[in-house]
Amino acid sequence: MTESSPLEVLEPDVDIDERTDQDRPWIVLVWNDPINLMSYVSFIFQKVFGYSKTKADKLMMDVHEKGRAVVSSGSRTDAERDVHRLHGHGLWATLQQDD
Amino acid sequence: MFELVKTHRDGTFSIEFPDHLVELVVGLASQLEAMLDDDRPELKRLFPTAYPDDPERDAGYQILARGELIEQRRVNVERVIESAGEGRVDEETVLSWMHVINDLRLVLGTLLDVSEDDHELDEDDPRAGGLELYHVLGVLLESIVGALRSGLPD
Repeated sequence: MTESSPLEVLEPDVDIDERTDQDRPWIVLVWNDPINLMSYVSFIFQKVFGYSKTKADKLMMDVHEKGRAVVSSGSRTDAERDVHRLHGHGLWATLQQDD
Repeated sequence: MFELVKTHRDGTFSIEFPDHLVELVVGLASQLEAMLDDDRPELKRLFPTAYPDDPERDAGYQILARGELIEQRRVNVERVIESAGEGRVDEETVLSWMHVINDLRLVLGTLLDVSEDDHELDEDDPRAGGLELYHVLGVLLESIVGALRSGLPD
Protein backbone atom coordinates (compact mmCIF):
# COMPACT_ATOMS: atom_id res chain seq x y z
CA MET A 1 0.00 0.00 0.00
CA THR A 2 1.26 3.39 -0.90
CA GLU A 3 -0.06 6.65 0.33
CA SER A 4 0.21 9.01 -2.59
CA SER A 5 0.08 12.69 -2.08
CA PRO A 6 -2.74 14.17 -4.13
CA LEU A 7 -1.20 17.59 -3.78
CA GLU A 8 1.82 16.44 -5.71
CA VAL A 9 -0.31 15.08 -8.50
CA LEU A 10 -2.40 18.19 -8.79
CA GLU A 11 0.56 20.55 -8.77
CA PRO A 12 0.40 22.27 -12.15
CA ASP A 13 3.51 21.59 -14.13
CA VAL A 14 3.41 24.53 -16.49
CA ASP A 15 6.31 26.89 -16.86
CA ILE A 16 6.24 30.26 -18.51
CA ASP A 17 7.64 29.01 -21.80
CA GLU A 18 4.90 26.45 -22.19
CA ARG A 19 2.21 28.97 -21.42
CA THR A 20 3.59 31.32 -24.06
CA ASP A 21 3.71 28.42 -26.47
CA GLN A 22 0.08 27.60 -25.84
CA ASP A 23 -0.93 31.20 -26.46
CA ARG A 24 0.49 31.28 -29.95
CA PRO A 25 -2.43 30.95 -32.37
CA TRP A 26 -2.82 28.11 -34.80
CA ILE A 27 -3.07 28.87 -38.49
CA VAL A 28 -4.87 26.97 -41.23
CA LEU A 29 -2.96 26.75 -44.50
CA VAL A 30 -4.37 25.75 -47.87
CA TRP A 31 -1.80 24.49 -50.35
CA ASN A 32 -1.75 24.80 -54.11
CA ASP A 33 -2.51 21.62 -56.01
CA PRO A 34 -2.82 20.97 -59.73
CA ILE A 35 -6.26 19.35 -59.51
CA ASN A 36 -8.74 21.64 -57.77
CA LEU A 37 -10.35 24.26 -60.00
CA MET A 38 -9.74 27.89 -59.07
CA SER A 39 -13.45 28.75 -59.08
CA TYR A 40 -14.14 25.72 -56.87
CA VAL A 41 -11.49 26.67 -54.29
CA SER A 42 -12.77 30.22 -54.12
CA PHE A 43 -16.38 29.06 -53.73
CA ILE A 44 -15.38 26.74 -50.88
CA PHE A 45 -13.71 29.66 -49.06
CA GLN A 46 -16.98 31.60 -49.40
CA LYS A 47 -19.04 28.67 -48.24
CA VAL A 48 -16.91 27.42 -45.34
CA PHE A 49 -15.82 30.79 -43.92
CA GLY A 50 -18.56 33.10 -45.17
CA TYR A 51 -15.92 35.27 -46.85
CA SER A 52 -16.94 37.77 -49.54
CA LYS A 53 -16.29 36.81 -53.15
CA THR A 54 -13.53 39.42 -53.27
CA LYS A 55 -11.75 38.04 -50.20
CA ALA A 56 -12.23 34.43 -51.30
CA ASP A 57 -10.85 35.18 -54.76
CA LYS A 58 -7.82 36.94 -53.27
CA LEU A 59 -7.05 34.01 -50.97
CA MET A 60 -7.47 31.59 -53.87
CA MET A 61 -5.05 33.64 -56.00
CA ASP A 62 -2.55 33.64 -53.10
CA VAL A 63 -2.78 29.86 -52.96
CA HIS A 64 -2.35 29.64 -56.72
CA GLU A 65 0.54 32.10 -57.05
CA LYS A 66 2.40 31.74 -53.76
CA GLY A 67 1.76 28.04 -53.28
CA ARG A 68 -0.19 28.45 -50.06
CA ALA A 69 -2.26 30.90 -48.03
CA VAL A 70 -3.38 31.29 -44.43
CA VAL A 71 -7.16 31.07 -44.58
CA SER A 72 -8.05 31.17 -40.88
CA SER A 73 -6.50 31.15 -37.42
CA GLY A 74 -7.46 30.62 -33.81
CA SER A 75 -7.20 27.98 -31.11
CA ARG A 76 -6.02 24.52 -32.08
CA THR A 77 -9.57 23.22 -31.73
CA ASP A 78 -10.92 25.90 -34.08
CA ALA A 79 -8.12 25.40 -36.58
CA GLU A 80 -8.52 21.62 -36.57
CA ARG A 81 -12.27 22.00 -37.11
CA ASP A 82 -11.62 24.28 -40.10
CA VAL A 83 -9.09 21.82 -41.54
CA HIS A 84 -11.59 19.02 -41.13
CA ARG A 85 -14.25 21.01 -43.01
CA LEU A 86 -11.81 21.86 -45.78
CA HIS A 87 -10.83 18.18 -46.06
CA GLY A 88 -14.52 17.38 -46.41
CA HIS A 89 -14.51 19.68 -49.44
CA GLY A 90 -11.41 18.07 -50.91
CA LEU A 91 -9.00 20.92 -50.25
CA TRP A 92 -5.43 20.31 -49.22
CA ALA A 93 -5.39 22.01 -45.81
CA THR A 94 -3.02 21.69 -42.86
CA LEU A 95 -2.67 23.40 -39.49
CA GLN A 96 0.35 24.54 -37.54
CA GLN A 97 1.22 26.90 -34.74
CA ASP A 98 2.08 30.37 -35.96
CA ASP A 99 5.82 31.22 -35.90
CA MET B 1 -21.88 29.27 -73.09
CA PHE B 2 -24.71 26.79 -72.81
CA GLU B 3 -25.59 26.41 -69.16
CA LEU B 4 -25.47 22.85 -67.88
CA VAL B 5 -26.88 23.84 -64.49
CA LYS B 6 -29.75 26.31 -64.27
CA THR B 7 -30.88 28.24 -61.23
CA HIS B 8 -34.55 28.94 -60.60
CA ARG B 9 -36.24 31.73 -58.70
CA ASP B 10 -37.57 29.35 -56.06
CA GLY B 11 -34.00 28.38 -55.13
CA THR B 12 -34.03 25.04 -56.92
CA PHE B 13 -31.70 23.94 -59.69
CA SER B 14 -31.88 21.89 -62.87
CA ILE B 15 -28.87 19.74 -63.66
CA GLU B 16 -29.03 19.45 -67.44
CA PHE B 17 -26.05 17.25 -68.16
CA PRO B 18 -26.35 15.06 -71.26
CA ASP B 19 -27.73 11.62 -70.30
CA HIS B 20 -24.50 9.79 -71.02
CA LEU B 21 -22.60 12.11 -68.67
CA VAL B 22 -25.17 11.60 -65.91
CA GLU B 23 -24.67 7.84 -66.34
CA LEU B 24 -20.92 8.33 -66.33
CA VAL B 25 -20.93 10.29 -63.07
CA VAL B 26 -23.33 7.83 -61.41
CA GLY B 27 -21.21 4.86 -62.53
CA LEU B 28 -17.96 6.39 -61.32
CA ALA B 29 -19.59 7.52 -58.08
CA SER B 30 -20.67 3.94 -57.35
CA GLN B 31 -17.12 2.75 -57.97
CA LEU B 32 -15.82 5.43 -55.63
CA GLU B 33 -18.26 4.43 -52.91
CA ALA B 34 -17.16 0.79 -53.18
CA MET B 35 -13.54 1.68 -52.42
CA LEU B 36 -13.98 4.40 -49.79
CA ASP B 37 -13.10 2.06 -46.94
CA ASP B 38 -9.94 0.82 -48.61
CA ASP B 39 -6.51 2.26 -47.94
CA ARG B 40 -5.59 3.02 -51.56
CA PRO B 41 -2.91 5.47 -52.70
CA GLU B 42 -5.23 7.06 -55.28
CA LEU B 43 -7.56 8.10 -52.44
CA LYS B 44 -4.85 10.04 -50.60
CA ARG B 45 -6.22 13.42 -51.69
CA LEU B 46 -9.57 12.60 -50.09
CA PHE B 47 -7.93 12.15 -46.69
CA PRO B 48 -5.08 14.68 -46.46
CA THR B 49 -2.57 15.01 -43.65
CA ALA B 50 -3.62 17.67 -41.14
CA TYR B 51 -0.36 17.91 -39.15
CA PRO B 52 2.51 17.37 -41.63
CA ASP B 53 5.17 18.03 -38.95
CA ASP B 54 3.58 15.99 -36.20
CA PRO B 55 2.84 12.35 -37.13
CA GLU B 56 1.52 11.55 -33.66
CA ARG B 57 -1.07 14.32 -33.69
CA ASP B 58 -1.93 13.53 -37.26
CA ALA B 59 -2.61 9.90 -36.38
CA GLY B 60 -5.03 11.15 -33.72
CA TYR B 61 -6.71 13.44 -36.23
CA GLN B 62 -7.03 10.67 -38.80
CA ILE B 63 -8.71 8.35 -36.29
CA LEU B 64 -11.36 10.99 -35.56
CA ALA B 65 -11.72 12.53 -39.02
CA ARG B 66 -11.45 9.68 -41.49
CA GLY B 67 -14.67 7.91 -40.56
CA GLU B 68 -16.62 11.13 -40.78
CA LEU B 69 -15.04 12.06 -44.13
CA ILE B 70 -15.95 8.62 -45.50
CA GLU B 71 -19.52 8.94 -44.23
CA GLN B 72 -19.97 12.42 -45.76
CA ARG B 73 -18.78 11.06 -49.10
CA ARG B 74 -21.08 8.08 -48.89
CA VAL B 75 -24.06 10.37 -48.25
CA ASN B 76 -23.10 12.50 -51.26
CA VAL B 77 -22.78 9.47 -53.54
CA GLU B 78 -26.16 8.15 -52.40
CA ARG B 79 -27.78 11.52 -53.04
CA VAL B 80 -26.30 11.68 -56.54
CA ILE B 81 -27.53 8.18 -57.39
CA GLU B 82 -31.02 8.92 -56.05
CA SER B 83 -31.38 12.28 -57.81
CA ALA B 84 -29.93 11.31 -61.20
CA GLY B 85 -32.34 12.32 -63.94
CA GLU B 86 -34.62 14.35 -61.64
CA GLY B 87 -35.98 17.57 -63.11
CA ARG B 88 -35.51 19.97 -60.24
CA VAL B 89 -33.27 19.50 -57.23
CA ASP B 90 -32.53 21.47 -54.07
CA GLU B 91 -29.25 23.15 -53.23
CA GLU B 92 -28.15 20.33 -50.94
CA THR B 93 -28.42 17.90 -53.84
CA VAL B 94 -26.46 20.18 -56.16
CA LEU B 95 -23.76 20.41 -53.50
CA SER B 96 -23.61 16.62 -53.38
CA TRP B 97 -23.12 16.50 -57.16
CA MET B 98 -20.39 19.10 -56.80
CA HIS B 99 -18.60 17.13 -54.08
CA VAL B 100 -18.85 13.81 -55.85
CA ILE B 101 -17.53 15.23 -59.13
CA ASN B 102 -14.72 16.99 -57.29
CA ASP B 103 -13.83 13.78 -55.45
CA LEU B 104 -13.78 11.91 -58.77
CA ARG B 105 -11.43 14.54 -60.21
CA LEU B 106 -9.17 14.24 -57.15
CA VAL B 107 -8.95 10.46 -57.55
CA LEU B 108 -8.56 10.55 -61.33
CA GLY B 109 -6.07 13.43 -61.16
CA THR B 110 -4.02 11.47 -58.62
CA LEU B 111 -4.12 8.31 -60.78
CA LEU B 112 -3.06 10.29 -63.86
CA ASP B 113 -0.54 12.33 -61.88
CA VAL B 114 -1.82 15.51 -63.56
CA SER B 115 0.16 18.73 -63.50
CA GLU B 116 -0.93 22.31 -64.12
CA ASP B 117 0.39 21.94 -67.68
CA ASP B 118 -2.19 19.30 -68.55
CA HIS B 119 -4.69 21.86 -69.90
CA GLU B 120 -4.08 20.99 -73.54
CA LEU B 121 -5.10 17.53 -74.66
CA ASP B 122 -2.33 15.69 -76.48
CA GLU B 123 -3.53 12.70 -78.50
CA ASP B 124 -0.14 11.03 -78.25
CA ASP B 125 -0.20 11.12 -74.46
CA PRO B 126 -0.87 7.57 -73.21
CA ARG B 127 -3.11 9.17 -70.59
CA ALA B 128 -5.24 10.88 -73.28
CA GLY B 129 -8.42 8.89 -72.54
CA GLY B 130 -8.18 9.47 -68.80
CA LEU B 131 -7.31 13.13 -69.25
CA GLU B 132 -10.30 13.67 -71.50
CA LEU B 133 -12.57 12.23 -68.81
CA TYR B 134 -10.80 14.40 -66.24
CA HIS B 135 -11.46 17.51 -68.32
CA VAL B 136 -15.10 16.58 -68.91
CA LEU B 137 -15.57 16.28 -65.15
CA GLY B 138 -13.94 19.71 -64.86
CA VAL B 139 -16.50 21.23 -67.22
CA LEU B 140 -19.37 19.70 -65.21
CA LEU B 141 -17.86 20.92 -61.95
CA GLU B 142 -17.32 24.42 -63.33
CA SER B 143 -20.97 24.61 -64.38
CA ILE B 144 -22.18 23.60 -60.91
CA VAL B 145 -19.86 26.05 -59.13
CA GLY B 146 -20.98 28.81 -61.49
CA ALA B 147 -24.63 28.17 -60.68
CA LEU B 148 -24.04 28.00 -56.91
CA ARG B 149 -21.88 31.12 -56.88
CA SER B 150 -24.43 33.14 -58.80
CA GLY B 151 -26.65 33.01 -55.72
CA LEU B 152 -23.99 34.42 -53.38
CA PRO B 153 -23.35 38.12 -52.76
CA ASP B 154 -20.13 39.66 -54.11
